[in-house]
Amino acid sequence: MSRKRHRLVSETFGLKRRRERGDGEADPLRGESGSARAAVAELVRLFPRGLFEDALPPIALRSQVYSLVPDRTVADRQLKELQEEGEIRVIQLGFDLDAHGIIFTEDYRTKVLKACDGRPYAGAVQKFLASVLPACGDLSFQQDQMTQTFGFRDPEITQLVNAGVLTVRDAGSWWLAVPGAGKFIKYFVKGRQAVLGMVRKAKYQELLLSELLGRRVPATVRLGLSYHVHDLIGAQLVDCISTTSGTLLRLAET
Amino acid sequence: MLGFLSARQAGLDDPLHLRRAESTRRVLGLELNKDRDVERVHGSGVNTLDIEPVEGRYMLSGGSDGVIVLYDLQNSSRQPYYTCKAVCSIGRSHPDVHKYSVETVQWYPHDTGMFTSSSFDKTLKIWDTNTLQAADVFNFEETVYSHHMSPVATKHCLVAGLFGTRGPKVQLCDLKSGSCSHILQGHRQEILAVSWSPRYEYILATASADSRVKLWDVRRASGCLITLDQHNGKKSQAVESANTAHNGKVNGLCFTSDGLHLLTVGTDNRMRLWNSSNGENTLVNYGKVYNDSRKGLKFTVSCGCSSEFVFVPYGSTIAVYTVYSGEKITMLKGHYKSVDCCVFQSNFQELYSGSRDCNILAWVPALYEPVPDDDETTTKSQLNPAFEDAWSSSDEEG
Repeated sequence: MSRKRHRLVSETFGLKRRRERGDGEADPLRGESGSARAAVAELVRLFPRGLFEDALPPIALRSQVYSLVPDRTVADRQLKELQEEGEIRVIQLGFDLDAHGIIFTEDYRTKVLKACDGRPYAGAVQKFLASVLPACGDLSFQQDQMTQTFGFRDPEITQLVNAGVLTVRDAGSWWLAVPGAGKFIKYFVKGRQAVLGMVRKAKYQELLLSELLGRRVPATVRLGLSYHVHDLIGAQLVDCISTTSGTLLRLAET
Repeated sequence: MLGFLSARQAGLDDPLHLRRAESTRRVLGLELNKDRDVERVHGSGVNTLDIEPVEGRYMLSGGSDGVIVLYDLQNSSRQPYYTCKAVCSIGRSHPDVHKYSVETVQWYPHDTGMFTSSSFDKTLKIWDTNTLQAADVFNFEETVYSHHMSPVATKHCLVAGLFGTRGPKVQLCDLKSGSCSHILQGHRQEILAVSWSPRYEYILATASADSRVKLWDVRRASGCLITLDQHNGKKSQAVESANTAHNGKVNGLCFTSDGLHLLTVGTDNRMRLWNSSNGENTLVNYGKVYNDSRKGLKFTVSCGCSSEFVFVPYGSTIAVYTVYSGEKITMLKGHYKSVDCCVFQSNFQELYSGSRDCNILAWVPALYEPVPDDDETTTKSQLNPAFEDAWSSSDEEG
């Protein structure tokens, strides 16, 4: 006799029932399924390629994935799986140690090869892309890993740093980086402050999402309003409150 | 709940199942109760709280003015309204009182006859509870940030004391011999939190302002066992110096009650759950756990519920999360200033928290309203005949 009572204690006492189900269809931002890969694919479509003359691969941020996938732990685990399979690369963006950019490996490879075409460091970069990228899925690389396991000499490592593929983290360790990402980071930081400022200046420091998306875009926001709104929601810089008129964005108190 | 009770009665379910279900239900209903109070004795912020592990009846609190107070938590009066009274205290007039702020107090894990306290006046004092005298004093050259004694140790009586400023080290003091046994070196900046594992009596975890969390075996002479890495990088790297557990200072450390997992909080506003046997980040994401405390933050984990909860001071509130899934259950609001410490009493599922506004608040599970007695129905029928109306609803009488 099967017993329906064998449910988790947490379900019985409404731990799951307490979680607010945000409105699915009415909200233009949250119409996403629970998968991290689908979320990254959708965010990559929001990236303005033409702004950087197609020299940068489309970058999505981890905080944006959190805004589309409601459970953060599940999102983190799925991103970790994608990283281990080699489908995406996670890049440390310099302005905030917590902000990680997510790029599809294929896009990263093609754009880096295009960027270093014809330059003196092309050989070192190609060797790096061929040997290190498939082998090591981490965000950072250590000195002895590069010299012993992959056989890079010091001048070659200097060439990689000059090419923009590696950024210095500490003495003897480097972060993986995207060449030419400086412009993106500058626009991103300015745009984030601008959109946050729009919410801050509103009365009671809260704005309806539909009103925010309908407003005139300030000149400092070059990456698109919805790109920044995803990031703000996921980074918990604004609280997302569902009301009868739609989603409300309120500035977080702390 | 009736389903659980009848299953337990019929023997279909494990007895532990009902106990865990009831504990979980009570923790989910924690709130401030007007009937429960803790007597206000401290004149300045409460830095640390500890409930004795034997009976769960007595609680120690240490304040920023060096005062240590002992409370009796048990409600022996028949009234629902109860104030936890201070049984005794080591006040400013006591000859052995600490000169500066008391940072950590801890009961001796095996009985309530003794407790230890460490303070910014560079001493660690061992107190006898019955006579309230300092039985022993360890003097150091630097301020003691925190200390901890192993709750499961039977073969050793080591107290791990933390120091920071001049040389960041963990000093292990032996209570049986009264002297310091050895030093654990390895951190680069001051160490803010320490905890012994509740599972293995020789394993110790330390958290430091240089963003690193290290696991040590105190019997081993050569350095730490593991430095926790938040990105779960390849372990083949020979140099572990770049591993960081958080992107800021690591403030607080807490093992889960079975000792298999470790929770850490840092000033990068994140809380992380680690597997304590291999040091792997389990990637459970709790969201933004606001933390701007410059010294150690003392948080606690529930014990005996079906899904464990962690209670973290979040500004002037306490945030409650489930440990293994990262979901935020509720925020307990009640303090006026920032909360510094909280402890969980697992026998009655109560939470006590101390804050900089000198108050200790008791969070008690919300009980059902008492069912009214049956005498009320008889009184209703005794209406004054003057108020009875003579109007009849029958159609026949005109």
